[in-house]
Amino acid sequence: MGIRFWERKVKAVNEDLEGCSKKRRRQRPHVLTDAYILSPSTFTMDWQGQKVAEQLMQIMLVVFAIAAFITGYILGSFELMIYVYAGGVVLTILTTIPNWPFFNRHPLKWLDPSEAEKHPKPQVTSSVSKKKTPKK
Amino acid sequence: MHSFSFRANALLTFSLTILALMCAMASLTDNFNSPSPTATVQILNVNRFQKKASGDDEVGVSLDISADLQSLFMWNTKQVFVFLAAEYSTPKNSLNQVSLWDGIIPAKEDAKFSIKTKNKYRFIDQGSNLRGRDFNLTLHWHVMPKTGKMFADKLVLPGFRLPESYR
Repeated sequence: MGIRFWERKVKAVNEDLEGCSKKRRRQRPHVLTDAYILSPSTFTMDWQGQKVAEQLMQIMLVVFAIAAFITGYILGSFELMIYVYAGGVVLTILTTIPNWPFFNRHPLKWLDPSEAEKHPKPQVTSSVSKKKTPKK
Repeated sequence: MHSFSFRANALLTFSLTILALMCAMASLTDNFNSPSPTATVQILNVNRFQKKASGDDEVGVSLDISADLQSLFMWNTKQVFVFLAAEYSTPKNSLNQVSLWDGIIPAKEDAKFSIKTKNKYRFIDQGSNLRGRDFNLTLHWHVMPKTGKMFADKLVLPGFRLPESYR
C-alpha cells in the first residue's frame, strides 16, 4: 500500500469532517481516531500480525542459532559461527521489527461513523453518595 | 509484541540469551578433545651457580625446549599459555616450583616449536639446598578458550640434577 492510498484516505476523512457542524464533530470521535490511524506515520500490525511476528522472531533466531553452531563446529571456526548468527539476527530484525503489510492482513474494523451516530454512548448515572451493595 | 520498541527489546534479549547458550555449548565441546602433546627439554649448560649474599642459592641455565602442542588446539581455543617449572623437594618445603620460562602460543601453527634460551626468570631457592639436588622440569600448559572453561595440564620430565658445588 503506497503513499497515494493513504493520501486518498486522509482526504476522504477530512472531506467527511468538512461537512459537519462543530457539535456533530465533537460527537464523532471515531472519525478523528480513523484520521490519526490512517496517517502514514502510524503503520500498525493487527493482533494476528503481532502473534505471527513474535513466533517468526523466535523461530528464526533459534533456527539460525542451530545452523550457526553446526556450521562453526563442523568447519572448526568460532568466528564463522558468530558471523552466521549475526547475519541471522540482522535478517530477523529486517523481517519482524518493521510494520510490514503482511502483518496487517486481518485489520481491525472500526465502527463506521454513520453507524456510531445511531448508537449513542450510554450516559453514566452518578449519584452523590453511593453505598456499595454486597454481591451475592 | 505491541509496538516497535517492544518488539526490538524482545528480539535483543532473546538473541543475546541464545548467544549465551551457543557459547556454553561451544565450551562443552572442549571436553570431547583428547590431546596428545609431547615435549623434551635439555639443559645445555649451567651458566651460574652461586650463593647470594642473602644466603639463597641462585642458578642460571641454558635450556633447549622442544614441544609439539598442536593437538591442544580446538575451535574454541584462543591461545595456549605454556611454562616450564623446575620442581624439587627440600627439607624445608615438600614441593618447590620455580618457573624458568613461559610463552604464549597464539595459533596452532606456532604450537610445534624448538627453542634454545636462557632461563627467563631467576631460579632462586629459599635457602641453600640446591647443591647436588635432583629436580624435575615440568612443562605446564593452560588452554585458554574463546568462551568457557580453561583447561590446564602438565607433562613431567624427570631426571635432572644440579652440580655438587658452586661455579
